[in-house]
Amino acid sequence: LIATDILTITINAILVGGLYATMSYGLALIYGVMKIINLAHAGLMMLGAYVTFWLFRAFGLNPLLAPLVVVPLFFLGGMALQGSLVRRVMKAPPISSLLLLFGVWLILQNVAYLIWTGDTRSILTPYTYASVQVGGISISVIRSIVFLVAVLSLFLLQQFLTRTYVGKAIRAIAQDSEATKLVGVNVGRISMIAFGLGVALASLAGSLMSLLYAFNPDFGRTHLLKSFCIIVLGGLESFVGVAMGALLLALAEAWSVMVMKPALQDLISFVVLVVVLVVMPGGLAGLVRRQ
Amino acid sequence: MVLTLVVVLALSVSCAPKAAAPTPTPTPLPGPSEILLGTALPITGAEARPGLYFKTAYELAIKEVNEQGGIYVKEYDRKLPVRLILYDDKTDPTTSVSLYERLITEDKVHALLGGYSTTLVFAHTVVPEKYGIPYVNGGGASTTIYDRGFKWIFCTLASIKKLALTTMDWLIVQQDAGKLPKPLKIGLVWENTAHGKDYQAGVREKTEANPDRFEIVLDEPFELHATDFVPLLTKLKAAKADALLSDAHLEDYILMHRQYTEMGLYHQVVTYGARGPEKEAREALGDAVHYVLGCSWWSPKLPYHQVAEFVKKYEEAYKAEGLTATSWYPALGYETARTLFKAIENAGSLDPEKIRQALVNMNMTGSIVVGQRVYFMENGQIDNPYVMTQNMPDGSVIIMHPPDAVTGEAVVPIPPK
Repeated sequence: LIATDILTITINAILVGGLYATMSYGLALIYGVMKIINLAHAGLMMLGAYVTFWLFRAFGLNPLLAPLVVVPLFFLGGMALQGSLVRRVMKAPPISSLLLLFGVWLILQNVAYLIWTGDTRSILTPYTYASVQVGGISISVIRSIVFLVAVLSLFLLQQFLTRTYVGKAIRAIAQDSEATKLVGVNVGRISMIAFGLGVALASLAGSLMSLLYAFNPDFGRTHLLKSFCIIVLGGLESFVGVAMGALLLALAEAWSVMVMKPALQDLISFVVLVVVLVVMPGGLAGLVRRQ
Repeated sequence: MVLTLVVVLALSVSCAPKAAAPTPTPTPLPGPSEILLGTALPITGAEARPGLYFKTAYELAIKEVNEQGGIYVKEYDRKLPVRLILYDDKTDPTTSVSLYERLITEDKVHALLGGYSTTLVFAHTVVPEKYGIPYVNGGGASTTIYDRGFKWIFCTLASIKKLALTTMDWLIVQQDAGKLPKPLKIGLVWENTAHGKDYQAGVREKTEANPDRFEIVLDEPFELHATDFVPLLTKLKAAKADALLSDAHLEDYILMHRQYTEMGLYHQVVTYGARGPEKEAREALGDAVHYVLGCSWWSPKLPYHQVAEFVKKYEEAYKAEGLTATSWYPALGYETARTLFKAIENAGSLDPEKIRQALVNMNMTGSIVVGQRVYFMENGQIDNPYVMTQNMPDGSVIIMHPPDAVTGEAVVPIPPK
């Protein structure tokens, strides 16, 4: 490999990092506030992809604009899910929420099979193959857009969490739910909003992923596993940490291909997961705080 | 007393209704009232779509045979209707194993039809082997399934290794026609599964046998359902191969070829193994799919009259469900069931060993499979030819191999864009 090839791999890895971050924010938010692992995250990403596909096919809606419809829709759906089901198991042992959300994932999958069948779907647009050549390096336009959305999402999330009452309440609950309740915050309502936001972020990721990948109702499994690794690496509750973790994982995976078989790419994720859990349980964010 | 008895008997005979003269009707030989077959298919889960095709194909074959009264079984001297017990394995190997166990031990089936996907078939075929029940499938092609010395497992799909060998033989023909260089530098990328390893073994075997013709400049496995192929494709670019030989499932084929096109890569020959002409691939890839070669077990374009008849009746039967016979799944499912029926008929018995022996000696002609004949090698797998196709820019798919099915001339090398 020559320098241009290494640069191509690196730039592409940074763009992939953007995608990884987008698909992990929702998982981190829900864990941060409610301390539950949203196993339905993969199903929600899958559904986000299908709704985008449906809007594109049925109404000709540009898939890049689809998140404007998909995200609010899933935000409301997420709040309803939290209010009707998740709320009931929040005080129960973690296995209850895991099983509940795993069940939700299976239901979402089967609903998708009923509506869209098991056929592999995809979205092809005039800009699917668009790329920009910079000094002999090919940069994908769609992946660049996904990266920009990831950066924008991080910025907006940070603004929301630090500048608004609801955002501050979400952070307070993440730190100490009981104390937050004592100062008069409606923890139930804020948790519902946080869950809705987490689901909306999952749908945003799914919507963007529909531009890159072919998908079927089983879509999202591989991405969910990577998201777990990323939020552990990032520090479970920090969005900047998640973004850093996503970038680091994407770079590690891409660079590993230069010296290892590409089939071992997934091994990187799980080695990272184990090492981080053992060596620095607070993830990158914890490491930064300790410094 | 004796006289009274004689009178009563005489009266009873004379008063009895006139019965028809007794004819020598043979008493039916004792035996089952039906032939019980079993299968476990992925009706839900990741492989639900192929599972549905196999289910409908099995049902069509059974409906047809039952409309003719069933399968003639010589041992009982009559036709017996066929009934299928079907379970959903949820695309899960563990579930699949337990369901085949149940079919044999609880449902007491006479023979088994196979499931779908190499992983599941590999897992559950240990069950019929353990109990000695004949099993025929058209859904798991990897040689890893058949090279275990099993006696009861049969398959109507030729091996993945043969897929690679067929592709390589076709490349040799193109070289001899002066269309491709010698040696041809091959970039070989394959999914890290039994399927992919078989493909790699075939390409390697042919390359080692023909060092003057082929040179492998890249040989890399990749993870199934990968999220990004740019690093691998960058290595491919750096390897300066003449031909890209890849073995991938549909989702990976779509992602890899999208990124391949995005990066502006070019090779004189591009193939993704068994993938290529799928409708889903055309929808996902658009013009980028042009000239991609495919090597598959079956094509609805095969110019055999029985293929056209099968396509017509399958699509008519499942019109309401919107199912078409464009992929190989329904064809191989249908022919797998017919092969088992033929074996039972040839065996003339429902004895498992006799059915197994009939499968070993199988020679079913007029079949819809490529080569029109179903037969099995010693390891239980068919060894019929593959059909090689190429996607043309006008949206059509031409068949380039085998010689008795050619429908057009291949465009080699692929014109650069």
